[in-house]
Order: sequence, then C-alpha cells, then structure tokens
Amino acid sequence: MRAAFEGSQAIARAVARCRPQVVAAYPITPQTHIVEGIAKLVADGEADCEVVSVESEFAAASVVLGAAVAGSRAYTATASQGVLLMAEVLYNIAGMRVPLVLTCANRAVSAPINIWNDHQDAMAVRDAGWIQLFCTDNQEAVDTTIQAFRITQETELPVMVCVDGFILTHLFEPVDLPSQEQIDMFLPPYRFSRTLDPRRPLTLGTLVGPEHYTEVRAQLHGDLEAAAEAILKADADWADLVGRRAGGLIKSDGPHTARIGVLTLGSVYGTLQEAARELVPDTPLRLMALRCFRPFPAEALRAAVDGLTDLVVLERAIGPGMGGILATEVRAALAGLRDAPRVHGAVAGLGGRDIPLDILPRLLALADAAEPVRCSVIDLQKMPPARLGADR
Amino acid sequence: MSKTTVLDLRELRRRQPRFTGMDPGHRACQGCGQSLAAHIVTEAAGPDVIVANATGCLEVFSTPWPQTAWRVPWIHSLFENAAALAAGIETALKQQGRPTKMLAFAGDGGTFDIGFQTLSGMIERGHNVLYVCFDNEAYMNTGVQRSSSTPHAAATTTSPAGRMRPGKRHLKKDLLAIIAAHHLPYAATATVAYPGDIKAKVRRAMAIEGPTFLMIHAPCPLGWVHAPELTIKVARAGVETGLTPIVELERGKLVSVLPIREKRPVTDYLRLQGRFRHLLGDDPVAVQEREHLQALADHNIETYGLLAREGDVRDSVTAALVRRGGAIR
Amino acid sequence: MNGYDPASLARAAAALPGSSLDYEVGSWRELRPVHDHRPAPCHIHCPAGEDAQAYIQKVQEGDLEGAWATIAAFNPLPAVTGRICPHPCEEGCNRGRFDEPLNIHAIERFLGDMANARGWRLEMPPLAEEAPEVAIVGAGPAGLAAAWHLRRAGVKPVLFDRYPLAGGLLRTAIPLYRLPRQVLDGELERLFDAGITFRGQMKLGRDLFLNELEQEYAAVVLAVGLQKPRPWSVDGAAPGDLRYGLALLEEWIDVGAAPLEGKIVVVHGGGNTAVDVARMAIRAGAREVHLVTTRALPGAADAIGPEDHMQAFPREVQQAIEEGVVVHPHTTPARLIIRGARLKAVELAAIRAFKDERGRTKRVTFEGTERVIEADVVIPATGEIVDHEGIEMLPRWRDYLASDRFGRIEGRPGLFTAGDASGRGGSVSAAVGDGRRAAMAVLLHLHRIAALPEEDAEAVSVEALQLYYFDHAPRQEPPLRPVAERIRDEKEIEPGLDAAALEREVQRCFSCGNCLACDNCWNLCPDFAVLKTEEPTEDGSCYVFDYDFCKGCGLCAAECPTAFIRMVDEPTPAFGGAG
Repeated sequence: MRAAFEGSQAIARAVARCRPQVVAAYPITPQTHIVEGIAKLVADGEADCEVVSVESEFAAASVVLGAAVAGSRAYTATASQGVLLMAEVLYNIAGMRVPLVLTCANRAVSAPINIWNDHQDAMAVRDAGWIQLFCTDNQEAVDTTIQAFRITQETELPVMVCVDGFILTHLFEPVDLPSQEQIDMFLPPYRFSRTLDPRRPLTLGTLVGPEHYTEVRAQLHGDLEAAAEAILKADADWADLVGRRAGGLIKSDGPHTARIGVLTLGSVYGTLQEAARELVPDTPLRLMALRCFRPFPAEALRAAVDGLTDLVVLERAIGPGMGGILATEVRAALAGLRDAPRVHGAVAGLGGRDIPLDILPRLLALADAAEPVRCSVIDLQKMPPARLGADR
Repeated sequence: MSKTTVLDLRELRRRQPRFTGMDPGHRACQGCGQSLAAHIVTEAAGPDVIVANATGCLEVFSTPWPQTAWRVPWIHSLFENAAALAAGIETALKQQGRPTKMLAFAGDGGTFDIGFQTLSGMIERGHNVLYVCFDNEAYMNTGVQRSSSTPHAAATTTSPAGRMRPGKRHLKKDLLAIIAAHHLPYAATATVAYPGDIKAKVRRAMAIEGPTFLMIHAPCPLGWVHAPELTIKVARAGVETGLTPIVELERGKLVSVLPIREKRPVTDYLRLQGRFRHLLGDDPVAVQEREHLQALADHNIETYGLLAREGDVRDSVTAALVRRGGAIR
Repeated sequence: MNGYDPASLARAAAALPGSSLDYEVGSWRELRPVHDHRPAPCHIHCPAGEDAQAYIQKVQEGDLEGAWATIAAFNPLPAVTGRICPHPCEEGCNRGRFDEPLNIHAIERFLGDMANARGWRLEMPPLAEEAPEVAIVGAGPAGLAAAWHLRRAGVKPVLFDRYPLAGGLLRTAIPLYRLPRQVLDGELERLFDAGITFRGQMKLGRDLFLNELEQEYAAVVLAVGLQKPRPWSVDGAAPGDLRYGLALLEEWIDVGAAPLEGKIVVVHGGGNTAVDVARMAIRAGAREVHLVTTRALPGAADAIGPEDHMQAFPREVQQAIEEGVVVHPHTTPARLIIRGARLKAVELAAIRAFKDERGRTKRVTFEGTERVIEADVVIPATGEIVDHEGIEMLPRWRDYLASDRFGRIEGRPGLFTAGDASGRGGSVSAAVGDGRRAAMAVLLHLHRIAALPEEDAEAVSVEALQLYYFDHAPRQEPPLRPVAERIRDEKEIEPGLDAAALEREVQRCFSCGNCLACDNCWNLCPDFAVLKTEEPTEDGSCYVFDYDFCKGCGLCAAECPTAFIRMVDEPTPAFGGAG
C-alpha cells in the first residue's frame, strides 16, 4: 500500500505489522512519534502488543531485554541522550546475544543541548556489539525495520535502525507499506534459542572470568562480522518479495568511470544525489551510502571504491580529538588496498544544521587538495567570531 | 571419599523432599546470610518462577561460568535494572499467557540506591513481580562500602570509624516507607533468623497479583565482621533489639508485625559485630552513638508497635520454635 | 544440554542447572561438622542406665512399644521404678534450668503400665541346651536386673530368695500406697515368662550354701540386700520392747496393721525406711509422729554438702510432712527417758556436721540445746546391714560386701555381688543398675562378651543447647490424692499421666545431645550441604553432611538446638603419590 505517511508513522506501522509482543519506550524527541504511533495502533486494536511506558530509556532497554529473553518479540526506540542512558544495557543486550530491534531517531548529544539531527548518538554506541543500519529515506526505514526483525532473529545480534531525526521521522512522503501478509511471509515467528522457561531452566548473564571472557567477546566480534551475510540475504529475500532493496551493505550510485566518490550515512545521500543532478550534472561522480555501519563492511567498501582516486567521506558526527569517525574507519578499511583512493574527511550537519545542495562542490573541492584532507568541518562561518570572543 | 559414597549423596540430593531453586557449589562466603535467604526464598517460591537478579554477591557467587547454582530460570543483566528486567519478562509472560511468577533479586545497593528508580517504576506500573531485596547493609561485593542502607554509625570501608568520625554519619534509609508510599498490594520485611517467616511471606506475596516487595535482613559475616556461625544469632539480635523491625504492609498500611517477646538492649546486637566495635567503649562519642542507636531501636518499637502484648499467638520466640519432625513449614 | 544447542549456550555464556555441582567447595573447609551423640543428663543421672531421651524420642515418634523396649533393655522394672525411684534423671534434666524438668518418671511409669497391660515382651534369644546357669541369691531389684540381663544374653539365671515370692524389699518394705503389688507382679510375670527360674524360701546359710552354689553354677551373684537393722541404742539405753523400723514396716505391709494407734511416735533416721515408717505410723493412727534426723532437710541450704542432706527421697519427705509427720532436722536423740521398761519421753539435741581438716564429716551435738518431747514409742530406722549368715568369709567394706563397681569380689572369680549388699544401692534404680553391671561382669567371666561397657561420657550441659528454639511449657503433673483421703487407705497416692498429658509432656523434651529431627541444619545450611535421609542413619539422625559442599561455616552446629552437631578440625588430607 503506497501512501503518504509521516516517517515515524510509517515506521510505527511497519513495527506493528512485525507483530512485536512487547514494546517499551521513554519519551524523547524526535523519537516520540514512533512509539506514540504504536501505542495508538494498540489502542485501536490494530496491534496485539503490550506497550510499557517506562520511567527511563535505561528501563526501556531493560524491559525489552527481559521481554526478549522471555520469548517475546520486542522493540524499542530512542535517540540522543536516551541512547547514552541505554548504553550500559545496549552493551549488555549484545553481549547476551539477545534479538532486539531498536529505532534510533538520530539526534545530537548534549552539551550543548540540541534536539536536532546528527549521528553522534549512534556513533557513541558503535562498539556496543549491535548491528547498525542507516536509512537514506523512509521507504528504507520501513523496509530495514522489517528486515531488522529477521536479521536479529537469525543472528541473535540486536539491530539498531538509524533514521535521521526530524529529517526522516517528521517528513511526510509517500511510502509503500508492505502488507501484513507480505511481512508474515518474510518474517518467521519469534523464537529465541535461550528462552527463559521453568520447564527448561537456564542461567543467562553469568560471570565470565579471564579464562573465558576473551573467547566470548571474540565470538561476538566474529559473529557480528559474519552477520553481513544475513543482512545481505534479508535484503535479497526482501527484494524477491516486494521488488525493492533497502541498500544491502553499501548503496552506490554513479558511473564506473568516476574517479571521485562521496561516501555518507543516512538521508544526506538524497541531498547529494539531488546536488549532483542539479549542480554538477557533467562530473562523473560516485555517490555511496553506507547502510551497514556495524558490522563494518570493509570488503564491500573496497569493492565499492574500485577505480576511485579520491573518496570524500561526509558524516554528521565528530570524534573530538580525532575527527570524522566514519572517515577514520574508512581509512582503516582501505589501508593496504592497492590503488586505494585518497580519503578526505568532511563533517557537516551537526545538531540539525541544514546541509544545502551547494555542499557538494565544496566536498569535491577537497579532492583538489595536494594532501588528503584529514577532517574538514564544513560551513563554520554561521556563528560570528565576535560573539565567540564576547562569550569568552 | 569413595566413589560409591559420592554417587549415593548425589542421588540422595536428587531425592530431597523439598524443592530447591539453588544447588551447592556456589562460592558464597562461609555463613553467608544472603545465600541462605536466597535458598529459602526459592524453596518457598517453587519451580514455576523466573528470577531476574541484579549484579552483586548473589549473582557473582552463583554463576561463575560455565557453572551456575540456579535450578530455576535465571537471568542477570545489570546492577540497577533487576526491576525493569523483571518487568519486561513479566510483561512477556503476561502477553504470552504464561502463569509463571516473576521474581527480582537484588541487594541493598541495587535496591536502595542504584536500582531504586527501576524498582519504583516497576511498582508504579503494577507489574506482577515479587521483588526481594537481600539487605546486608553495604556494598559487600565491592568490598564493604557504605550504602544508604548501612545503619547509622556502622563502620564500612567508605565510612570508616576513626578519631573524628564514628562510622556512617547518616541514617539507614527508610526504604520500606518509600515503598509503602507506592500503595502496593503487599510489602514486608523478614530476616534469615526466621526462615519460616520468610517462606510464609514469599507464599503470601506469590499469591498476590501485582507488585510485591520483600526485604530480607541478611547478615554478611565478612562485612559485618562476625564469625560465620553467628549469622542467625546476629540476625535474631537485630529483631529482638528492635533495630530490624519485621512487619507486613498492605496497600502501604501496617497490617502485622513480628512482636518482640523480650526486648534486648541494642548492645546485644552491636557487640556481636566488628562493624560496631568502635561503639562499645566508654568514650563520650561511643556512648552517645550507642544511645542514638538505642533511641532508633526504641523509635522502631514505638512506631511499629513491636512489643508483644498479652494474647499474641506469634512472636519473636514462637516464630523460631522447633519440634521433632521439623518446624519450618 | 537440556535440549539446548551447546553453541547457543556458549555464545551467550549461558549455563545449565546442576553445573555448580562440579565445583566442590568442601575444599575450603577448615572445620567440619559432625554428628556427636553425647548423653543427655537424664541418661547420665539414671543409676539404672536408662536413656530417657531415647525412649522419650520414641514416644514423640508415636512408638510406645519401642519406647518401652528402650527402657527394658536396661531396666526390667519400669512400672516399678517409674513410681518409686527418686528420679535423679529429673534433677539432671536440662529443662529444669529453663522452666521445669520433664516429668520423666511419669513417662516411664506410663510405658511400664502399658507394657504390663498389653503384655509387651522383649525379644529374647532362645536358651540353648548347654547354656550356662548362673545362681543369683536375692530376688530384689538387683537380682532381678542381673537375671534379666543374663537371660537376654542367652544365659540361664536361677533366682533364689528367702521369701516365697520374688521382689525383695519391693514386696516386703515399700508401702502399698507407693507401689501397688499388682504392678510388681506384672513386671515379675514378664521376667518369669522369659525363662528366669525362681526358687523361693531358700535362705543362704540355711537352705543354700555358697560352696555348693559355686560348684553347681557357672557363676554366683549375691544380691542379698540389707536385712539386719543396724543395732541401735542411746548411750546404751533402749526400751525393752524396742522394735526396729524395717521389721515393723514389713509386718504392716504383710498383715496390714501396726501397734501404734494413739501413740506418740519418735522415728529416728533420715533414710527412706525412716520416712516410710513415719508415714506408716500416721496411717496406723499414731497421735503424733516425729522424725528425728541428724541430717538437714532435702535440699536445705544449711547443709554442709549433699552428704548432709537426708538420704530419703525429697518427694517422700515432702509427702510425709504434708501427711503430718513432724521432721526435726539436724537433731539427735540425746537421751531416752524411760520409766521402768516404758519410754516416757525423748530428749533431743541439736547436732551439726562439720568437715575436719582431712575432709571427713564429723557431727557435734551442741550442749545446751536439749529439749524433751513426750513419746510412747521410739522406732529406730538408722539403716540396715548385710546379713552375713552363710557368707561370713567374704571380704567386707564397712558393713557391705567388698567388690569393684562391677560386683567382682577380689580373689573369688565367678562370685559377684550386686545391689544394696554391695553398698551401691540406695534406690531401686541404683540396684537395677548394679545388677546390670554385675551381669556384665558375669558375661565377661563366661567369655560371652569381650569387654565391660565404657564409663559414661560427659552429659550435654544446658549451656550447649540453643534454648532459643524452645518455648516454655508447663510440666504435666497430675495432682497427688489429698492428704485426708490418702492416709485412710492403701491405694496409690500418685496418679499417672493420661495419654494427652503424656503427649504434651514428651513434646517438652529438649532431646539433649541427640538429633531432634527439627530440620534446622537442613534449613539453615547456606550451602545445601546437609541432606535429609529417608531412613535414620547409623547415628540415629535423618541427616548426613555432604562434605563435598560443606564449607565448614558452623551455622548448623551453632543453631543445633540439642548440641548434636559439633565442629571438629578438618582432618589433614593424606598425601598420595610418590613417597
């Protein structure tokens, strides 16, 4: 059914059609519309689900963890501070290998407090052991959400679906909402291999000492890397079912002959596509969106940059003291590759700063530099230096 | 020991005429009150339960992977989320129509302090969970640091007794009053000195649909500095001095107490434990703090009406009586 | 794997139930708990060797016949001893330091009566054709006990007594109001049913001769009791019609009358015979009865020690006083005032005991304390001695036959002595115990046992108990018949317990030093290292320690109400391997 939805409502409906049994969440902008939507669907009898309105994101994550180990498909959503408040539980969920889906309505992290979009929240928990999938539009958000439930079940790795706050969550656009039948066909019933059940008692969350801890953590790493297969397979199967992909591991657009590429995360991919059409229609350019940030698809990335001399990485987060987080990882992934492109780092769109179409020429200009640009924070002139000085 | 004896005991263990939710082989210290309390609670709760356990001694000593002492389904996630975890499991059970009862276990640190918020949320939302706090009055797992449950004037590693300070400066948090303010169906205190009372309260709580709370006073020989065999005697002295009121609340209202038949001075409790050793001398500070603790005990006795009256059928003596063929039902 | 995929468990570090059993925390232990059945004080205090705790336990378990059999294994006369023994077991009872001692004698009596009523019998080994025969002279409690224990060991006892009926002083000297004779007859019937032969009217030195007995029998036990009154006078003076107390008592029991009606009677003596005589005088219609004794009243604080108390049983003295006997403690007859051959009055004087520098007791009469009481009759009851007729050649110790505590007579292998004649009597239970020990010595002599029983261990003290686990409960004690009623007839004055009172009373037993089966150790072990067994184990308890998991914390021992669990040093493991 193709119709215009607010992104959050589309996601809420997709979640509801995945038949979660327990949803728990705590209000935080810009996530709230998603859970409100689910609550309304439950209230209207369109979903059979327990919605637990908890006292914190920390509790929300704990509640869905509990629900999942008790054998219920569970879901939560959050953003920003909520992600950080959940952080301890997120690590715990992944370490215990519990299947869960979380929508992160990506938002900046305080301080200064800021409710608008960037990716700092997701980046802050990149090492928690979760699969992290970034969506470039709301169709992908819907499709990825549905796929996430299947991926998490197959891999016993929790999946964080990253959707740009406001930019996607509050955007009305036409979305094809898969039917209940399609989703039921795609998504097997939830079954957890270590469900807590008095008929088959089991102890979860043990104390693991130095003699075993490394093995358990190494297995998490190995399994997370291997999860790329499940992610690709889910996308392929989804394409077989509904006739469209949600981006695999990396989405790429542009001619094979392109020598310059731009890699980004999330909805800015759409901006770049439009800018390329509008502003530099004649420049061969390869645009790429990294859908799968965790596991980091190094091999797919190496293939995707084949033939490029320069790769500009545009990201909406910053690792203070280091620079672009994605750029750093891309450099690491390409290190040692024969004929690897030069990697230029660019940071933009922090805290909801608009990324205008004309960012693209400025990004391309970075490729002209004699040396690779480590980290260029684009568009720094908005706040007058005098004000800065006065505040000092 | 011969092989046959080993096998016979293993077989005998399987045939014990009671349900045990825990096995031996756990690494609790000798005389651990918490491990005793946990096994009493799980015995009374029976097999059709799931336990969500906060980080703490109980979790650490019972689950050194690849081993576990638990015979019931059990999960540990974090220090401060036992209540939320239990709430999540309970929600799932309810959603699935499974009648299994949910238990949450935590220490006083995980209850009074770091896990307090999730506990409050769990009770407020009415989850059908029996939350059991094993109160040993300090952060024992990390090496005896003071918690908000540590009694006034007790020495811990972060409230040491010295020339200038006689142990913890602050009072033990009146958690029960805060819990009571949630107007939950049932809240009670108990102590390892009265296993039968614990079992009765667990069963009572299990029979209630909705959030219930049981706080069990559980001496820690290591942290309280007493010989391991004194665990029961210390706990009992806590009751008989009035420092450990054993009460039951329904919807926040006091409905019953374990009356003290013969009130003992608080020094009977203090002198058993090294954590109060600095209070036993004749120096003015020790004398004053002793009097303070006595006043706190007297206040408990007055507030809860703990002194036995004529006609009480059950009191601090009868609750522990034994007879041939077993006393604890 | 409980149906779980091992890979699934490993990836999440999940664990399966039962796995901690692989980790034997018993290796931490420095002390280990052990079951340590130490005797209860009631047991140690029983001269007959009865383990009251053990038989009370059987009653608690509802096994009345087993309870009786537990007694009968030591004492064939529980219905008798339950009535007339002064029950030192109750003095020892730790419950006496808590509220009131258990009414042990009433429990014993209940069981003895029930055994007689129901005809309970102890299983006996068959008597072999060639079973040795042992002669026992004297069918009083010591002789009867010796015969019983010999019979139980497959030896054939032959009892001789100078009286036509067995029972000794139980029949001849114990007042009927204390011991109805059908009770005694019931006990004797069981003994004779068991194959114990009795030959009455056989008096040593007249009908029986020691050398012949020694030749005919594999062993001889002399349990002849004390038959002759100690000669009595006051400074050489005595009324011409003087009758000794024991003879009067025997006559009264035998014919039912004593010539004391309307008389003022002075009884001299502080033992049981004196008290029985005084009470007989009351019943025979005496106008006044005075009991004069150089000793203190039982338990009185002005005694210099236990040996200064009247030897009569406290409860008998108490009952005598209730019945009107005037007791004059620490008093001695200083002079008899006789006119012609007739007694007119007795002069009494205060007398006190002192210890001399060598620790011996000496008694001093205080000049100036003399007073005179009118009296028609003075009856001495200052003790009896062995009638040495027929055994004059045997070694003596004071007035008794000299022997060791097992009744063995030096230089006379095969000859034994037991009971009052050995100086180790004093109560029916003491005689029963002495008879048992003599039987053991006989069995050793006959090579039927390898060794004599060990000395009794130390009893469990009240301090070792966890009294916290017991609540106060009143001693079940049916009231005595009222004085006015009981002195008018010969019926028993002390009633027994009914079944309900028995049930209440046995529940009061602390079970000192033995397992109460209270489950405390089972419930309070933080390590589940106490396991309950379906059947009692060798130590009589229903629990075993699983040392694989016991950390030795000592909680079980600290909370064992009865001190049955003790912590001992962990044995040092022996090193194996190369050596």
